Amino acid sequence: MKKFLSIFVLMVFGISLSACTDSRETLVVGLEAAYAPFNWSTQTANAHTVRLDGQIGYADGYDVVVAKHIAEQLNMKLVIKAIEWDGLIPALQTNTIDVIIAGMSPTADRALTVNFSDIYYKSEQVMVVLKTSQYVNATSLVDFSGAKVVAQLGTLQDDLTDQIPNVNHLTPLESYGAITQAVRSGEADAFVAELPVAQSIIGTNSDLTFVQFDEENGFVVTDEQVSVSIAFRKSDTELLEQINEVLASITTEQRNQWMNDALARQN
Amino acid sequence: MELPDQSEFLKTIIYLFITYYKIILYGLGVTILLSVVGTIGGFVLALGLTQQRVIHIDKKREKRFKRILKQTLKSLGNGYVTLFRGTPMIVQAMIIYYGIATLDIFSWWNPLTAGLIIVTVNTTAYISEVLRGGLQAVPIGQMEASRSLGLTHNQAMRKVVWPQAIKNSLPGIGNEFVVNLKDTAVLSVISVVDLFYAVKQSASATYRTIEAFVIAAIVYLIITYISSKFVNYLQKRVGTAKVVKA
Repeated sequence: MKKFLSIFVLMVFGISLSACTDSRETLVVGLEAAYAPFNWSTQTANAHTVRLDGQIGYADGYDVVVAKHIAEQLNMKLVIKAIEWDGLIPALQTNTIDVIIAGMSPTADRALTVNFSDIYYKSEQVMVVLKTSQYVNATSLVDFSGAKVVAQLGTLQDDLTDQIPNVNHLTPLESYGAITQAVRSGEADAFVAELPVAQSIIGTNSDLTFVQFDEENGFVVTDEQVSVSIAFRKSDTELLEQINEVLASITTEQRNQWMNDALARQN
Repeated sequence: MELPDQSEFLKTIIYLFITYYKIILYGLGVTILLSVVGTIGGFVLALGLTQQRVIHIDKKREKRFKRILKQTLKSLGNGYVTLFRGTPMIVQAMIIYYGIATLDIFSWWNPLTAGLIIVTVNTTAYISEVLRGGLQAVPIGQMEASRSLGLTHNQAMRKVVWPQAIKNSLPGIGNEFVVNLKDTAVLSVISVVDLFYAVKQSASATYRTIEAFVIAAIVYLIITYISSKFVNYLQKRVGTAKVVKA
């Protein structure tokens, strides 16, 4: 009983105490830890991982590398919290976290609630399908006419799905894990994903592949929509400027290198 | 261990468990913690709440002010149960967690402490209903006999009626514990790292979702089976499991 009590006390208070030893300012980053290759969870530490606050696992991925780089440049202590996708913006607004670095696209709707940094990764949108699917050889959105397409709730990809002519737009799901399963089981024919996410998924799921489009045959997107940014509270303009400076110093080659490394670390 | 091929369903399950066993066991610990704290805390709070809901109002002898006060307490108690039994815990979790986080008054407010409080206030409402049923099952003659022996109403409640009511309620409370083991999975919506959330994390690097949830199903089944057996054993010890022979 004593042992149980002490474990309980540790669990509850250890979380809040863990951040008290370092005198530097903390940068509390929120991410899903379930959106590989941007961010995922692991139980073994490596040179790129950061302990997830209040848990025993670690976060790894492109976002974590970027967060680490920013914290180093600004001489801040980095804390990473894993938060469900729907909870990220509420957590930011309630000061639970300081920034969201979670592969989030800076859409106009979200910009009404939060501020976005300059982009820290840019890619393209592709369609993920089963290798045995009739859509494997598709070259344009028109080829997906009539297909059952699914996406994650509250994402850019969910909005983009409507650009497919005559699409059967299924009810959005809550994570990419669920979406991948929906396509693997034939529940959906395809889903829209950012290129690195698609690469990551097909890297670990050999029955899946993805379809890329030429610029004129693909989704109509703005530059912001195919990029990901860091989200801030509207009031945190100083931090936004500081982080923009750090982001500007990262070259495109460096970004691609980090992304390729993240993809390679995943399995 | 290398990630097995897509077609190797069982091997993938074993791979995920080996690669993520620390996180999964931690999640299991949190699930058990939530259920134990929720059920014990809920039971203690429900004792007070139920007494408040069944409070005795003597229309002839008590002053009007006291009657109104008691009636208000009674209605508040009933309102509490209606509110927490009538809304899903997942909705309560979202409102309570983010609501209090917005106020920014408690430095210890985090998903786990919030989860412990949410499961406790929720369970309180359910156990209060179980206890009310337990009280109603105590024959009225018990109260009458106590009163005729000279006990006051309050003494009779405390020494005669309540002990029997609690004994009557034990199966229901045990059942509430088993329900909590499973239902606390909804707290993952506020990022409580329970078993469900931990299992989701275990699929985060590989997107092998169905295999991960098979692990969750197995672990949940094991803990609910063991705790059901334990609840049955407790009932036999206290003698509430009466066997009717047909």
